[in-house]
Amino acid sequence: MSEVKALNQDGFFLRAERITKVYSDGTVALKEASLEIHPHEIIGLLGENGAGKTTLTKIVSGLLPPTRGRVISPKGAVRFASPREALGFGIGMVHQHFALVGPFTAAENVALSYERPFSRLRLTKIIEKLEALMEESGLQVPLDVPVEKLAVGEQQRVEVLKVLSRDVDLLILDEPTSVLTPLEVDELFNLLRRLRDADKSIILITHKLKEVQDVTDRIVVLRQGEMVGDVRTTEATTERLAQLMVGQAIEQEAVELSDKELPVRKTRKAVDRSGKSILHVENLVARGNTGKIAVDDVSFDVYAGEIFGIAGVEGNGQTELVESLTGLRVPKSGTATINGINILGIDPRQIYRLGVAHIPEDRWELGLVLPFTLAENAILGVHRWKEFRGAFSVLKWGKINQHARELMDRFEIRAAGPSAPAKSLSGGNQQKLIVGRELAKDPAIIVAAQPTRGLDIGSAYYIRQTLLDMRGKGRAILLVSADLDEVLAYADRVAIMYEGKFMEVCSPDELDRERVGMLMGGVTAAKETA
Amino acid sequence: MSTKEAPQQSRLLRGVHRTLTGLHPVLESLIAALVGLLVGAILMSIWGFHPWKAYFALIQGAYGGSYEWASSLSRATPLILTALTFSICLRAGMFNIGAEGQMYMGAIAAVCITYFTLPPGLHHIVGLIFAAVVGAAWSLIPAALKLMRGVSEVISTIMFNWIARWLALYLAIYVIVDPLRPEKTLSIPLTARFPILVPRTDLSYGIFVSIGFALVIYFLLWHTATGYELRAAGLNPSAARYGGIRTKRTMFLSFILGGIAAGLAGATIVMGLPPTYAVYGGGGLPQLLNMGFDGMAVAMVGRNHPIGIIVAAVFFGGLNAGGRVMQFYGSNPVPLEMVRVVMGAIVLAMSIPELIRLFPMAKKGGQKLIQSLRRATRGTIEEESA
Repeated sequence: MSEVKALNQDGFFLRAERITKVYSDGTVALKEASLEIHPHEIIGLLGENGAGKTTLTKIVSGLLPPTRGRVISPKGAVRFASPREALGFGIGMVHQHFALVGPFTAAENVALSYERPFSRLRLTKIIEKLEALMEESGLQVPLDVPVEKLAVGEQQRVEVLKVLSRDVDLLILDEPTSVLTPLEVDELFNLLRRLRDADKSIILITHKLKEVQDVTDRIVVLRQGEMVGDVRTTEATTERLAQLMVGQAIEQEAVELSDKELPVRKTRKAVDRSGKSILHVENLVARGNTGKIAVDDVSFDVYAGEIFGIAGVEGNGQTELVESLTGLRVPKSGTATINGINILGIDPRQIYRLGVAHIPEDRWELGLVLPFTLAENAILGVHRWKEFRGAFSVLKWGKINQHARELMDRFEIRAAGPSAPAKSLSGGNQQKLIVGRELAKDPAIIVAAQPTRGLDIGSAYYIRQTLLDMRGKGRAILLVSADLDEVLAYADRVAIMYEGKFMEVCSPDELDRERVGMLMGGVTAAKETA
Repeated sequence: MSTKEAPQQSRLLRGVHRTLTGLHPVLESLIAALVGLLVGAILMSIWGFHPWKAYFALIQGAYGGSYEWASSLSRATPLILTALTFSICLRAGMFNIGAEGQMYMGAIAAVCITYFTLPPGLHHIVGLIFAAVVGAAWSLIPAALKLMRGVSEVISTIMFNWIARWLALYLAIYVIVDPLRPEKTLSIPLTARFPILVPRTDLSYGIFVSIGFALVIYFLLWHTATGYELRAAGLNPSAARYGGIRTKRTMFLSFILGGIAAGLAGATIVMGLPPTYAVYGGGGLPQLLNMGFDGMAVAMVGRNHPIGIIVAAVFFGGLNAGGRVMQFYGSNPVPLEMVRVVMGAIVLAMSIPELIRLFPMAKKGGQKLIQSLRRATRGTIEEESA
């Protein structure tokens, strides 16, 4: 093996040379970044959101042309007109925002990446190939259901399978682990290692320090478009990487976060559960989009002044549970009350009146009207409240703009102003806008679904702190997150959800990660001993 | 976060970028109009006409004086309203192709006010209300089909156009027909006719109904919670639902408002059209024909914004008014149909930005241009700072 490696040091697969990318709106995403990719290695591309990781990989995989610089292979400079062409060359990318056709099944989506995708014969062949691949890789997805009906985690697995089915030489994964269980992450990493040993190259984009250290051979750190580090994984320390990634300013926080020694654990307290139950759920049953029972007889209470966490792999009923509690889905049976008032099957508007704030899972699809301005988005859901609406339903734009400015100040939303379109904001600022809008309702309970997904450390930290503040003020918080570390660190009590049921409800202190991983995978203690 | 370069530079670049790839809406409409006129010019020269002379005649005939302006505005009056029908529904996320039929029904309803007598003023208002209610009612059937049975509103409104057309024709010929002149319906009584605004033209006070309604719609959409809900539901129905907006209600409301606009369009035509103030059944409703469909073109060029629609309607009205002059212009008589060719070309040209997105070649050219411009601007800024 060492021989192979030595050989590969000379021959590279692809090299990006002094790449600069300026987007047409003047944003400089990359400055003179160079990256050499060899066969037989896993490169970790580390950096915060907006550091240029995705841009760099898009250029490498031919999706974007660089402004300056070039990409060369041993055969000369390369340029691809389409992802399909890049796939033909052996470069496959799994994007953070999936490129799937909703009404198509997984198999049909995979077929789309081939030439002439729609011959019958090909589809049957692809299904056979996918089944073999699923067996081999351990990534299981239903192949005959439209992907829009799959949970986000499952959709991602389809994306990974899509690329793997093309026998690529370079596999690029953009934040692949954010929706997977620890077990699945391990499986994915084992798969990546196997691929590496088969002389493939892999680029893993992430901002999770632990992951890069786990699986990569080499770590490249980007900060604000500049390449600030290129180190062998064996020589890198967590502290050093965190420092490279976020710069000096919030280094300490980053290290704390990366070590998962989150400060919250120390402040966690036993909540007085004889006291006030804000949200009371009993025997809730709800169907998913496919008609399958997605939430299966769930009962729990969320008390004032606590964070109740729901962990679990996505697609195990969390989405349907949240939708049922926020008026977006009519459940099959059961009861749910807020301060004793029924909330099942009534309008979101009436639910908000009862003091519910909802930070939705999908911030682009649900949380924001992207073409609307920041100010317009700042009143979504509260636009009929007296502060913003006068006689004859006339909107008080003065007050709305003032409210938007207050949100910008209070929640550190960086934007040109209240009239900036929401789609012009970065992901972190969009999420801060949603969080700010929801918390400004002065809610009794906050339902936060994946509140920090895909955000950079700074924004995520800020949003978590804000939730803690709300807990301190005696608000009840229902935190649903696929980020296990987040739930374990911040929740006062945690429920592990698996196939629509709560596997266990307890304090996170009583759980170690292995046990959580097993529960998320549906393995109960009883089965374990049996 | 990604870093930004000097603000003035990025602002300039963003301007350039917008111009080339995602053109500013107003500019896009202007360019489309010019492209349409250019296509018309090419066709005219192919058929041996003199395009510049013809356009000179057209512009003379459209905006050459107060009479011409009045003619153009008069033709713009119903177009503003039918364009609003399309735009309101589009803003709510619905494709209402039914302005034509709703306008027919409005016109017929307006004629029906001849059956009773009221003092002037009140009679006008009753006529308008009549037309608005009937127009709205006609649009409610496709809306209800959509909301209750999921019937595509595109298909149902088109079919309802045909039903409305033949129903209106039947009523005009057999029911509300003028017994003395069977080619037309009864005339609107004097107490309900809109006074003529400019003497010896056909521009009536109906224009104020159009412009007034456009302003009302503007206010409704951008300054009321109801309009906010309507726009939110149109742009992102899921987020609207999350925001507690009842999207079915906003859809319904958009159809009602659209129907009202189309009904009013029918009323302004009948109540403000000298000399007879009546609908002609003979010749198949010639005064009403295509006003609803032209409204959709106006809505496109006006970017579905009430103010833009007023401007676009005056332009289309001008094409119609000027076209008549063009066909009688001395040695160079261009047929009236050429005006419709120009209109068609404009509508096609409106989709050019979409074409640019479809054809990467054009996009690449544009990007190269941006890059060279960027280099140029960077140069100048460095010079300035030096």
